[in-house]
Amino acid sequence: MNRVFSVIIFISLVLLLIFSPENFINSLINGAEKGVNLSFSLICIYAVWMSILELIKQTKLNEKLKKLLHPLIKKLFKIKDNTEAENEIAINISSNLLGMGNAATPSGIKAMQLLDDKSGKMNRPMSILMMLNACALQIIPTTIIGLRVYAGSSNASDILLPSIIATFTTSSLAVFIALIIEKQKRKQKK
Amino acid sequence: MNISVYIIPIFILCLLIYSFYKKVNIYYAFVEGAKQSLQLIFDIFPFLIAMFLMIEVFKNSGLSLYLSEGLSPIFSFLGIPKELIELTLIRPFTGSGSLALVSEIYTTYGIDTYIGRCASVIMGSSETVFYVSAVYFSKTSVKKLGYALPLSLFMNLFGAVISCLLCKIM
Repeated sequence: MNRVFSVIIFISLVLLLIFSPENFINSLINGAEKGVNLSFSLICIYAVWMSILELIKQTKLNEKLKKLLHPLIKKLFKIKDNTEAENEIAINISSNLLGMGNAATPSGIKAMQLLDDKSGKMNRPMSILMMLNACALQIIPTTIIGLRVYAGSSNASDILLPSIIATFTTSSLAVFIALIIEKQKRKQKK
Repeated sequence: MNISVYIIPIFILCLLIYSFYKKVNIYYAFVEGAKQSLQLIFDIFPFLIAMFLMIEVFKNSGLSLYLSEGLSPIFSFLGIPKELIELTLIRPFTGSGSLALVSEIYTTYGIDTYIGRCASVIMGSSETVFYVSAVYFSKTSVKKLGYALPLSLFMNLFGAVISCLLCKIM
């Protein structure tokens, strides 16, 4: 990220200096101001959603979802004798589904650690888990809906259905492609 | 009236009723939620500011315009409008950066317009792939992600294509 950031900001600032030097400092300060404004709206959005998530946690609904996902995970990941890893995967996926990003990341790291076979290479379950996390599998895109409400949308949750369809399509397709590649790999080994 | 207006309110109400039934301290949950939101903002605030700085100079310098114009033939072929090229490109790198871009898109092009809705759906169906791949594998022996990284990036682009398509018909 550092490289991307440095390159973009350097080229932009040089261009600004050449074409409109009077906007040089202005742009920087305006940018920071916009950042502060968004942070304030995010505090409100997160305050509401974090409360909802806290209720989900306290009522143990996330545990129920986790249990519901277990058979599916067993079938999809096909992990042998590693219930601990299976458990972490279940926490990761159910947190992602509920939009609890904070809980998803640590369980994802732990799951990868447990799945690691110390060969320095990705294995099948690792790839599948990576695909699911790369496609943002979730039921309610909480932050975006909150941001839309804040910006004054007339129907903020109008994007709910397209979002769900999009994320489920890409996630299942990604896993499907990964499974095909893994199958090919195994064939080559034989 | 669209049904989608009711989905989240009904979900929240059901959750409240269920919380009553489970005898959860609801007041405490809301207090805790507010506390966590502040902590979360504390964590992402510096990144948000840095990202907004970058995006502002990127836009004002005209660099973003050159880039969008240059890449628009490829993206229009994929069905992604040129207003969303930057978002599609920056999304795999940074969550705060893309959040910053989306809020810019809302103020420039409107929220309930085609562009605004597409941006929302793209955000809801993509992930900061580079961040995920760096963090998730940080404690493993894995050095090279093999096909997983290119496939993830491709699926994110594909997600953007689908998002734009879905917003046209829905």
